[in-house]
This record gives sequence, structure tokens and C-alpha cells, in this order.
Amino acid sequence: MSSKGQKMGLRSWLDDRLGVSAVFGFLRDKKIPQHRHSVWYYTGSAILLFFAIQMITGFMLVFYYNPTLEGANTSVARIMTEIPLGWIIRSVHSWSASFMIAFVFIHLLSIWITKAYRKPRELTWISGVFLLLISLAFGFTGYLLPWDDLSLSATKVGTDIPRSIPVVGVWVTRLLRGGDDVTGDTLTRFFGFHVSILPLFLLTILAVHIYLVQKQGMSVPVSDEKKGKKLKELPFWPNFVYREMVVWLILTGILFSVAIFFPPSLEKAADLMAPAPEGLRPEWYFLFLFQMLKIFPSKILFINGDTIAVLLILLGIIAFFFLPLIDSKPAEKKGKIITAAAYLFIVFAVAMSLWSLLS
Amino acid sequence: MKLKHSLFTRRQFLNGILGGWFGALAASVLYPALKFVFPPTREPDQVILPFSDCEDMKLNTVKNFPWGSKPGLLKKNDDGSYTAFVAVCTHLDCNVTYLSDQRKFFCACHDGWYDESGTHIGGPPPRPLRRLILSIEGEDLIIKREGVE
Repeated sequence: MSSKGQKMGLRSWLDDRLGVSAVFGFLRDKKIPQHRHSVWYYTGSAILLFFAIQMITGFMLVFYYNPTLEGANTSVARIMTEIPLGWIIRSVHSWSASFMIAFVFIHLLSIWITKAYRKPRELTWISGVFLLLISLAFGFTGYLLPWDDLSLSATKVGTDIPRSIPVVGVWVTRLLRGGDDVTGDTLTRFFGFHVSILPLFLLTILAVHIYLVQKQGMSVPVSDEKKGKKLKELPFWPNFVYREMVVWLILTGILFSVAIFFPPSLEKAADLMAPAPEGLRPEWYFLFLFQMLKIFPSKILFINGDTIAVLLILLGIIAFFFLPLIDSKPAEKKGKIITAAAYLFIVFAVAMSLWSLLS
Repeated sequence: MKLKHSLFTRRQFLNGILGGWFGALAASVLYPALKFVFPPTREPDQVILPFSDCEDMKLNTVKNFPWGSKPGLLKKNDDGSYTAFVAVCTHLDCNVTYLSDQRKFFCACHDGWYDESGTHIGGPPPRPLRRLILSIEGEDLIIKREGVE
């Protein structure tokens, strides 16, 4: 038997048992519609690219990282100074997190503005908001792990914020901290969240998200849908995949360049008893929330200002989850107001972040 | 099947028993799991410092001491008396510092200010700094939580 025949034999042997030809057949026939908004289709796979980089560099860092009060800061210092190329791995992990979250925001805003969440894609959007929250949780828990002054104070503030929520807030804070205060237990707990609990949740919901995207196909903007004429289409395989690969290569190039020229710093180990350092700032994607809390007055009509701020943020998140249900008439006036809200949100977040950076 | 004077059917009765049993089983697993996840609080009732350590503090200065897992600040006032605070901002839990020259406590996280008696005077803090109760017994300076005998 020729080698080609053997290969065919193996393929059909596997297919008889796994039935994967149905999947390959689906991908071969998948079409990507072409219109003036199709550039946003590339943001999803860009997120996957950065997530894959996060997994690989994360596996590498965990070989040397030590999630204890005594060992955390020194083990990161060791990764940065002693382990061959350790500084690049940490830098790529840190930068790739930022890139991933940036693309999560772009992906989400593009869907908000083009209204890709409208029927029947509501659940795709809701699973996507879950993925956004999990990505932010990844960033927040990862920020503590180097255990320096800045990361400690940021974590104290971040884990204290839920306390303002009536009734359940205190328990959320204690669950996150593993006690009433941020201690070594918090560090161990955050490590557990970061490397086992969050990845499990993310992968599970990601699988659902990607399944839904495949099941429903790519969404077409309202304006093109209304015209009713058939759009040009690009075969997913190989045309679209090749284009995506070009995007991945460019993004990887940018990521590694930034990571090599601007590696993250490491301050001296956190001291639980020391006053908070000045110039404290969270990661850039939390800046607008940070600034909001900073400027909120301490009392509004006898109610704690923070409670109001936190409840507003919670309300915003809940509205965000149900956006496809709220935006029930996307082509009409209500839909246009909701699109305008997306631009308003961008202006608000950028203005607040700049204010925080410049003050 | 339902007996003449019964309030519910045999099926409802059995489902109730089974459901109740499942509920009790779940609770008996969940309760210890929650106990494990939420550790007990560890704030101390009191902290004892040797008074000789604080006797020679200058007026209008502070000294750090550990109050459980939080920092505490012992302040010597202008009249030579002492006040003790939990040095944690009442806004969002950052550790505060005392600025002797401005006679103010300061939290760098969100620009919170307290006067020298710990009253909140600027920025987001909603309450004064928490005070601790001081007493001197022989050689010891005893710092207690409010409400502890």
C-alpha cells in the first residue's frame, strides 16, 4: 500500500470513530460576508491569539513563580533577573494581557455599534459579557501576584469596593480576601483564581461562545440587511483564515516589540503595614472606574457616596448584560439612542482615564 | 392517588420527602464548604506595647504598631497625651500616613484627608479614622478595641 493510501486509511479510521469530517466539511463551506464593516470580524480571532499567548507564557511563569508572602516578590525578581529570557516571558504575559483586554473592548464595542447582538444572537452577547468580566478578573488577580507596593494597594481598594453593596457586599469582600484584610491568604487565593478557577470558567464559556458564533454564522449590519441584496462572500477556508494569519503575524510583531522595549517594572516587596504609596493607579482598563470613585462625593443625601457609585456601576453591568433585550427595535429611534450611548461610553471612559492620568 | 381527607397526593408527599432530603444533603455539604471558604475574623481584642518604647516619642509624631493584620498608629499629642488609631482609610481600606508638618492624616489612594484627631476633612472618606482605647498599666501600654473589657 502506498503512503498516501495509508494516510487515507488513517484518516478514515479516525473519522469512523470521531466523525470529525462533519466539522471539516462545515468549515470548508463556511462563508464570511464582505461589507464595509467586515474589518471587525478580525477582532475575535485577535483575542484568541492573545489568549493563546497568555496560556503559553502563563504555563512558563508558573514553573518559577511562588505564590507565598515570602516568595512572591523574590520569585518574580528571579524570573526577571536570573531565569534565561524570563524578563521577556513576563513582559509578554503582562503586555499580552493589556492587548487582549483592549481587543475585548474593541470587539464588544464593534458589536454594540453594528448591533450584531440582535435576534437570534442575544446569548452570544451575554456569553461575551461573561468573557469580558472574566478577562477583567484575570487582569485584576494577576496584578497582585508580583506582590509589590502598588499591586497591594490596588488590591486593597479593588477588594474593598464590593463592601459598599448592601447585605452581600461584606461577604464578597471576605470571599475575595480570604478574611477581613488583604494578607498572604489573599495572595494564595488570587493565585488560585488566576491559574485554575478563572481559566476553567473562561474556557468553558469561550467554547459556548464560539459554538454559538459558528451555529448562527456572521452577523451582517442592519443597513446591509435592510437592502436585502446578496452580499459578496469570502470562503472561510482558506481565504479568510490566511487573512487572519496576516493579522496575527502583525499583532504578534507589535506585541513582542513593545514587550522587549517596555518591560514591566517590579517595585520592592509589599509591606502590609506601610502607608499606601503615592501615585497609585490601577491597570489602564480600570482607570475610568478608579477616577469615578475618586471624584464621587463622600455623602449624597445622607447615603454613602461609594454605595451609590458601586450600585451605579453594578446597574451599568446588568444593563450591559441585557443590552440585546433592551435594544428590541434596533432599526428605530430607540436603537439609534442605544448606538449613541456606545459613543458616549467611549467618550466618558477616555475622558475619565485621561483625567486620572493627567491629575 | 389522594386519600379523601389528605391535603396532598402520595406523589407530592414522596417528592416532598425526597426533595427535602436532597435539600438537607446539599446544605450539609454546602455549610462546611462555606465555613472553609470564609475564614474567621482575626482582629485582636488588645495589643500590648512596652510603654518605655513610646515614652520618648516627640510631640506631634506617630509610631507604627501592628493591629492584627492592619497597621495601627500611636500618636503623641501636643499636651503629651496619646491617641491610637487603626491606620486604615475609611474610604477603601488603604493604609494612611501621618504628615507631621501639616498635622493631617493622608491616604494616597484617592486623596483622602483627616485632621490630627482623625476626623475626615477632605476627599472621599465617609467616616473618621477608627480610634482604639488606650490605658497604661505599669510598664505596659494597652491598646484595646472599643467595647472590649
